[in-house]
Amino acid sequence: MTRYGMVIDLDRCTGCRACMEACKVENNTPEATFWMYVFRFEEGEYPDTRVRFMPRPCMHCDNAPCVKVCPVGARYKREDGLVATDWERCIGCRYCEVACPYGVNTFNWTHPEEQYYLDWDGGIPPWANPDLTEPYGDEQRRIAGGGRDKGVIEKCTFCVQRVEQGLNPACVHGCPLKALVFGDLDDPESEPSRLLRRKQGFRLLEEVGTEPRVHYVGGGPPTENSRQIDAVEARV
Amino acid sequence: MAARLERLPFGVGQAPGRWKLWIAVLTAIAILGWYGWYLEISRGMIVTGLRDIGPMGGATWGMDVSFIVYFVGVSFAGITVAALVRLAEVKALRPIARMAEVLTVVALVLAAFAIMYDLGHPLRGIVNLFKYARPQSPFFGTFTLVISGYLFASLVYLYLGGRADAARCAEVPSRLQGFYRLWAAGYRDTPAALERHNRASFWLAIAIVPLLVVAHSTLGFVFGLQVGRPGWYSALQAPSFVLLAGVSGIGMLILVAAVVRRTVPGSDRLNEVVFRWLGNALMILLLAYLYFMVVELLTSIYTGAERERAVTEALLGGRYAPVYWSAVALLVIPLSLLLMRYFRRATGLATLVASGVMVNLSAMAKRFLIVVPSQTHGTLLPYQAGSYAPTWVEWAEMAGLIAFGALLLAVFAKLFPIMPVEGGES
Amino acid sequence: MRRRLVVWLMVAVGFGLQAVTYLFLATPIGRPTDDSFSNPRIPFAPVLFILGVVLVFLAAVVYEVLPEEKHHDR
Repeated sequence: MTRYGMVIDLDRCTGCRACMEACKVENNTPEATFWMYVFRFEEGEYPDTRVRFMPRPCMHCDNAPCVKVCPVGARYKREDGLVATDWERCIGCRYCEVACPYGVNTFNWTHPEEQYYLDWDGGIPPWANPDLTEPYGDEQRRIAGGGRDKGVIEKCTFCVQRVEQGLNPACVHGCPLKALVFGDLDDPESEPSRLLRRKQGFRLLEEVGTEPRVHYVGGGPPTENSRQIDAVEARV
Repeated sequence: MAARLERLPFGVGQAPGRWKLWIAVLTAIAILGWYGWYLEISRGMIVTGLRDIGPMGGATWGMDVSFIVYFVGVSFAGITVAALVRLAEVKALRPIARMAEVLTVVALVLAAFAIMYDLGHPLRGIVNLFKYARPQSPFFGTFTLVISGYLFASLVYLYLGGRADAARCAEVPSRLQGFYRLWAAGYRDTPAALERHNRASFWLAIAIVPLLVVAHSTLGFVFGLQVGRPGWYSALQAPSFVLLAGVSGIGMLILVAAVVRRTVPGSDRLNEVVFRWLGNALMILLLAYLYFMVVELLTSIYTGAERERAVTEALLGGRYAPVYWSAVALLVIPLSLLLMRYFRRATGLATLVASGVMVNLSAMAKRFLIVVPSQTHGTLLPYQAGSYAPTWVEWAEMAGLIAFGALLLAVFAKLFPIMPVEGGES
Repeated sequence: MRRRLVVWLMVAVGFGLQAVTYLFLATPIGRPTDDSFSNPRIPFAPVLFILGVVLVFLAAVVYEVLPEEKHHDR
């Protein structure tokens, strides 16, 4: 049974945020909306400061609080481990957004035309990309980030439109240092499993009980002394 | 048998000029609120001050959700009073039973509207909730038990309680006679009918009280079960929601009763005994609620995980301090006034009405303080602190709803006796 | 007699409907591991639940409003 997960090698991450860019280009997320986010932390007092970086996609938790609270079952967990949002069923109550301990959900606050980077006259606008608007999976629900429907919640989909074709998610593909590794965590010979065996890993906010499917190796979780620098202060 | 009515009681069926003016003002405000909703539907929720939690540094549940909780809280009063009259046999409260029930129904209708305002897809929300609502989600209880079950139960209670008066009003020739006949549904003032009514009301009250507790607790669970939200995740949420509901509900009932006393002819049965009862009930609930607040505060400042502490600091001395301390003052001042009133056995209405208004303002602020700071300052991952300020659209929507509620109450008072008619059963 | 029968029947059916819908027909309760945990077993199952609540309270209306049976003279 394929159960996808991701392993992020913090030793390799330089905080370049190419993964954020790749995600945006692949999924055509609107202004100020970032499904993949990269923290840049500073720790310590000058002159003994240290800078660390931490990419944060959606964790696609096994015990996802967002799935539990969705009143209409629009947010659901697939058999292959992905936590998906059916944007045709979503009623925009944003309960998943408040329930998520990691803050990965984004809401579509207005029409797509009003929150894009360029004007699109003619041709297919990016939010109507057929790859993103088709239904996916055995259950045939519309879960890729398409339509950009005003009033629904969306989030990182592990690029389901790519994964269903056997490709890696855009962030994994776009990282110049191969810091992100994606694959079947149930398969002991897959890249992420082998990486987890080589280096000791941790998961973010494990104590909260969400059982995230994104592991981190080669570093540590943010501590009380971690201050965020270069925050992406974008607001719609 | 009661004497035949000569005129419709309590000013029913009459529309004096002052009332018409009041209705016009309320309608204007309500329309402004609906215009705000129209903007929200056409442009999207970007017209509100809500934004995404996390990198965008906003709060995604704000004034709208605060008021959903507030309105459901206000609906607590009606059925509690009705239950007290029936189950605890507090006959002194009979005069306010009907306006309390109407207040409950109106408050739940306003809560339903506020939920519609909050959804990104309101129409789809109605259909999909009826089609797919999941019991695992705390919203299931809110949707099925609160809005559907509790509202329906209150309507039934109001209907059955009004049949006797409807039958008596139907004896008076008026334009509303058909309406009263329909409501009365063949009521005959016989001892058997009376006994049936008493028994049915008794069992209804017994059924509604657990429904009420479950309904308000489910609303508390919407917040209290979220492990990812410091400041929300607490076992105290459900009971403190029930208590604050009681405080705001009784407070609003005091306000409504005072207005009725002043404006409705023949309402002298709303005497000092009734108001003293309401004042004492409010006092006790305030004491209990302040106890909960102190417990919550002490727990979070004693040791407090880092993120909990961040939320508490924002409340006590940070961004939300003005709202927080105003909310506290608006609870402590009424409590002091009520305590003085109790010990001095004072009889003035003014302090009581002022207390009612203050606790309601505090309840609105407190709901806001429960909902928002945890989102802007209580993220478990170290995002920057966020901010949220409601826009004019949100203020208009909520003012419009309150005006609409007042409108419904004022219209009801002219269509049906707002108090049980003298000499009859309620 | 008829009145009591109808009322008790409504209450029983109402509670029964609520219990059955909540436990069996609505979305399965449990760890959400796949798609079936987001769909109710029959569509509009919540409507049945609400119907159960409504039935229980309508029983009170029936109890009061149902006209008296014509009693035979004893």
